Amino acid sequence: MSYSDTIPLHPSSQSDIDEIENLINSSHSSVLPARPPSPPRASIPISSTPPPPPAFIPSNLPPPAVHKPTPVPSVIPTVPAAAAPKPPLPHPHGSTTSGGSSGVTGFGSGPNTLTEPVWHTVKRDLSRIVSNLKLVVFPNPYREDPGKALRDWDLWGPFFFIVFLGLTLSWSASVKKSEVFAVAFALLAAGAVILTLNVLLLGGHIIFFQSLSLLGYCLFPLDVGALICMLKDNVIIKVAVVAVTLAWSSWAAYPFMSTAVNPGRKALALYPVLLMYVSVGFLIIAID
Amino acid sequence: YWGSPLFQPPGENYAHPKICFFHVLFKAAALAFYILSALFISNFVIIFVVTVLLAALDFWVVKNVSGRILVGLRWWNEINEDGESVWRFECLDQESLARMNKKDSWLFWWTLYLTAVVWVVFAIFSLIRLQADYLLVVGVCLTLSIANIIGFTKCRKDAKKQLQAFATQTIASRFTSSIQSAFTVV
Repeated sequence: MSYSDTIPLHPSSQSDIDEIENLINSSHSSVLPARPPSPPRASIPISSTPPPPPAFIPSNLPPPAVHKPTPVPSVIPTVPAAAAPKPPLPHPHGSTTSGGSSGVTGFGSGPNTLTEPVWHTVKRDLSRIVSNLKLVVFPNPYREDPGKALRDWDLWGPFFFIVFLGLTLSWSASVKKSEVFAVAFALLAAGAVILTLNVLLLGGHIIFFQSLSLLGYCLFPLDVGALICMLKDNVIIKVAVVAVTLAWSSWAAYPFMSTAVNPGRKALALYPVLLMYVSVGFLIIAID
Repeated sequence: YWGSPLFQPPGENYAHPKICFFHVLFKAAALAFYILSALFISNFVIIFVVTVLLAALDFWVVKNVSGRILVGLRWWNEINEDGESVWRFECLDQESLARMNKKDSWLFWWTLYLTAVVWVVFAIFSLIRLQADYLLVVGVCLTLSIANIIGFTKCRKDAKKQLQAFATQTIASRFTSSIQSAFTVV
């Protein structure tokens, strides 16, 4: 494109110039707590292939403009200009830089996560755990789509569930408590890794951490079962409870695992999962 | 004027003493508990749970709080629309990065590396003594430390690359624009 003036401006520079002029004209406070996201370009949170910060692209403006205190997100851990969006909301401006991951949730959203107060981070992570749990273990319309099932994976939930299961089993055991705990933890952790590798080696399309996260969350029913079995020592009740929670866990894990591999290999992917949950179930019943 | 949050006395004090404290606190607590508990507590379950919990809390604090505030870096993983996993590395812009307190970042990086080294030493001890369960604990803590190290190192490299790219671009475009303005004047 040729312009009438001698300096051909990059189209996006035009908006930057407007931005800088707005800065000059409007009242500029000395420190803006967080940089307001500039719509045409991705602003500060520069991910792996970044564009340079718009404000510094020199155009035919007088030099002083560049040296003004531009609205950089300073490291003031107080109020950000816009609160960090909650996880389910799509990020308003999208991380438009690389990878096309727009619309993905708020964890990496905008310049604000670098300056948000700590409490926001905590709340965000906690609500993510709860929402992941609800997604995996309870019926919801997205279960069939593995891409959506656990988009926002996290490993905190699985960590707590595995530790809780180990603790419950260890408490129920009358002898060798430490070994029971160590075995339960190692079995569950290694089992999750191996199951994931199994699917990957079968040519399935899952993401390693997403799968670990899912298998961990699917332990929640077994946790509940183990807790009940710890409180009630009757064998028949134990078997019934374990059977129910086992079915629940398998039901939770099934759609994700089966859609990840091609149909001919579904059984190969699912059988080890079932095997692991059955063995955990036996462990729960057998401990006394 | 000392009251302004922007003014930092050159190299004198930590800019965020509380954050630095927490950054070190959980690491030191995990290590201390592991060492002392082996002497005083016989119940392995407690050792495991408390040590791993402290290590996990430390991981979270470093990743989400002290990384952001002490060195202005952040990393995470996203899954995009196509179901692909994308690792993202985020840093503050160059001006803020340059304003970071040197002492803060020195503490950040040194304690990060030092903790990992200490855990490796403990892992070697457990291997030598053939204690599989202690090796498990150390393994988990080591994994968490290494994950943070890798994430932040990648972040830092990214930040440096950006700085160079941005600097060369600035120089190049200023050069061309000043040449062009010189020609228009003439």
